Amino acid sequence: MRTSALHGIGYSAQVMAPCIQLTVPGTLRYRNIAVRVVAEAARLVSGSAQRDENDMLDNDVRDPFDLAVVSAFMEIFNNVAIHAYRRSGGGLIDISITPGERELTIEIKDHGEAFDIGDVAPLPTELDESTLPEGGMGIHIAKTMLDEVTYEPGPPNLWRLTKRLPANQVATGRS
Amino acid sequence: MAAPFEVVNTGTETKLMVRGSLDINTAPPLAEEIDKIIAGKPAKVICDISGVDLIDSSGVAALVKLYKGVRAAGSTITITGARDQPLAIFKLLRMDKVFNL
Repeated sequence: MRTSALHGIGYSAQVMAPCIQLTVPGTLRYRNIAVRVVAEAARLVSGSAQRDENDMLDNDVRDPFDLAVVSAFMEIFNNVAIHAYRRSGGGLIDISITPGERELTIEIKDHGEAFDIGDVAPLPTELDESTLPEGGMGIHIAKTMLDEVTYEPGPPNLWRLTKRLPANQVATGRS
Repeated sequence: MAAPFEVVNTGTETKLMVRGSLDINTAPPLAEEIDKIIAGKPAKVICDISGVDLIDSSGVAALVKLYKGVRAAGSTITITGARDQPLAIFKLLRMDKVFNL
């Protein structure tokens, strides 16, 4: 395994199973850094390109695969920062991203309080003006956007997210 | 860094324009602005989210708060301009029909 560090972000690569590793403090302040790394990893699998090459910090997640991965990841990161670390940090979030030929797997590990995923209420079946929810949507978004979402309470707590390219989508990932 | 939202009052309507990422970090200051808008009891509110390129559930919650608050006051509200990832999220949550997106 090769490991190098750049501005506090560690990357490691293995020949057979390349894996991007990122560790950030468990607060929302570092959320956007993680989101941008995940967005770029999604592009490696989907083959989508940043539409505005002159603005690499633009939140460009228009490709359906990228969109699903980033949307789900944002919700899980929020969940960890809010529920595991109670918005006060005090711990780290370890993120391992494995971009495969046709799928992306993300593992998110924290050492905070465990989350009871069974407590997540389903969205109202009949949605109208009176039943519009103002919370409890995050896990629903993650589960619906991805092919697999698993959670193993710890310590450490571990979220595992998987998104696969649809069978009819040709992977044109940049190498 | 430009503010992620802007409010324009024309006398007959209040227009709220949001841009960038509407998420757990940017939704709280927007929610404060939404409280002010609702307290002003405008007859009509237009919320333009064409500049929003990324939204999470906290951002959605802020817009739901706006929608409910304006409607509860007997006023009308139009949410317009949803595209790309934000539109996909509203469709996933089945809010696109409630908001007429």
